[in-house]
Amino acid sequence: MSTGVSIEVRGASCRFRHVSGNTIDALAGVDVSFAPGEFVCLVGRSGHGKSTLLRAIAGLTPLTEGVVRVGGERVQGPSLQRGMVFQDDTVFPWMRVIDNVAFGLRNKGLTRSQAASVANEWLESVELADFSDSWPRELSGGMRKRVAIATVFATEAPLLLMDEPFGALDFVTRLSLYGLLTDLWRKTGRTIIFVTHDIEEALILADRILVIKDGGIADDLRVSLPRPRDEDMRASPEAVAITKTITRHLGLAELLNRRSGETQL
Amino acid sequence: MKAIGRYVLHRRVSLLTILALLATWQIAGYLSPTSALRGSPIVPPFEFIFGPALLGMSDYWHYEALAPVPSLGGERTWRGAFLALGYHSALTLWRIVTGFVLGAVVGTVLGLLVARSPIARALFALPLHLLRMIPLLATIPLFQFWFGATNMSAIIFVAYGVGVVYFAGTINAVANIPPRYIEYARTLGASEWRIFRAIIFPAILPELFSSVMLTLGLAWSAVIGAEYIGVDSGIGRMIIWAEFFSNTGRMALVTILLMIYAGMSYFLFRRIAAKVLSWMPSSASGGKSL
Repeated sequence: MSTGVSIEVRGASCRFRHVSGNTIDALAGVDVSFAPGEFVCLVGRSGHGKSTLLRAIAGLTPLTEGVVRVGGERVQGPSLQRGMVFQDDTVFPWMRVIDNVAFGLRNKGLTRSQAASVANEWLESVELADFSDSWPRELSGGMRKRVAIATVFATEAPLLLMDEPFGALDFVTRLSLYGLLTDLWRKTGRTIIFVTHDIEEALILADRILVIKDGGIADDLRVSLPRPRDEDMRASPEAVAITKTITRHLGLAELLNRRSGETQL
Repeated sequence: MKAIGRYVLHRRVSLLTILALLATWQIAGYLSPTSALRGSPIVPPFEFIFGPALLGMSDYWHYEALAPVPSLGGERTWRGAFLALGYHSALTLWRIVTGFVLGAVVGTVLGLLVARSPIARALFALPLHLLRMIPLLATIPLFQFWFGATNMSAIIFVAYGVGVVYFAGTINAVANIPPRYIEYARTLGASEWRIFRAIIFPAILPELFSSVMLTLGLAWSAVIGAEYIGVDSGIGRMIIWAEFFSNTGRMALVTILLMIYAGMSYFLFRRIAAKVLSWMPSSASGGKSL
């Protein structure tokens, strides 16, 4: 099994031109490093640059300034070395489950039968072995997410980028996917960068939480809660302290106690 | 269960409507006067259509080796009638199939090429819409002037009519592909060619198949139109020959035949679409009218 990879982001800026002609700095000079095998969550309010940072590391969104290096190599576009799981359902509906998982493997140059056998192993690890010949439409949303997870893990990409992958799923399905994801992460040692707006999700998954605010990193928090994490962990002093720090960065107090005059009814 | 019951009921009611229409036609046939010129009823009843009118189709048979040729003094034969219908049907079917395939393939390929380039899209979008404004049948004489009243002319004409629709349909379909599929494929290391073949092509297939349903009717109109106006053979031309002598029975017969051919082509494509698009969610692959 391949292991994780280190990532270096230096002076990353990303400027978009709005339709109105105004420019928006989605990223404003971000400097950050990730160690191999780290599970990092990016949290923050929507529109503050979490996804842009993730997409820049993936090579999907070009930087206006700065550089991203993954394993010492400069990122210049998307690559098999950086797997991505999107919030929207990206499992190709016109390919059977097995062909979806084999897609990246085929691009890697594996023959059809080699790719199928690796894909089958991964379908077994995500408990979908019985569905390899199904169409994605025959699967539930949670099962399709497992297909996407199997697909990115199967390629042996040392870095996995996840953009609110479980955002659209119900709570119980999410819990089972947290279990699956942390299990696969522990077994394979990949580096995972995971965008979420859910503090609890970050506390369940991450070694480290970066708070993203106004296109920059507002805080860099270590999570040393023991794994596997359970109900008690949620009430532990460390979890409470981290939650408090993050909500302060998000401006919870301002959001909740806005003067009545500001609220448009 | 209720829904199925309602479906069956709707089916029965439509069947009744069809029977009523047929009966009305038949009654009109008995009530309407007969044209003095050729002894043809103005509204031919069915026993006339499938009797004397069908036999009369042997007038259009011209190869003595296989059946008597009435225009050379031979008698009208059923064999000659079926040979004539078969021969001209085959010509028309050849034109429509070749033209359709040619137009669909060329239109789709050009559409794909243009769709992937924003510059090409800007260049072609407006002229294409202008081209689509031209009523197809209005261009028949020009096509026949360019290509002659030949098989080739009819084929090119059908291909043009069909191709323009596919060209526009493909550009539209490519624009409608959710970008996330292409981004996802890129992060999985797909080359441009593989994205084309494994993502873009299957993703536009549902829209291409709705273009098929749209263009089948168009193609039939185009081929019959080409035969009406110029090409001197084919089943569409038979209607013109029949009209020349007010042979209403023969006109009705060929029209019924055309209805059967067009119906068969729709049925065939529905079956193919259901098979190829079996991955699509629920109704779209089953029997949803496209």
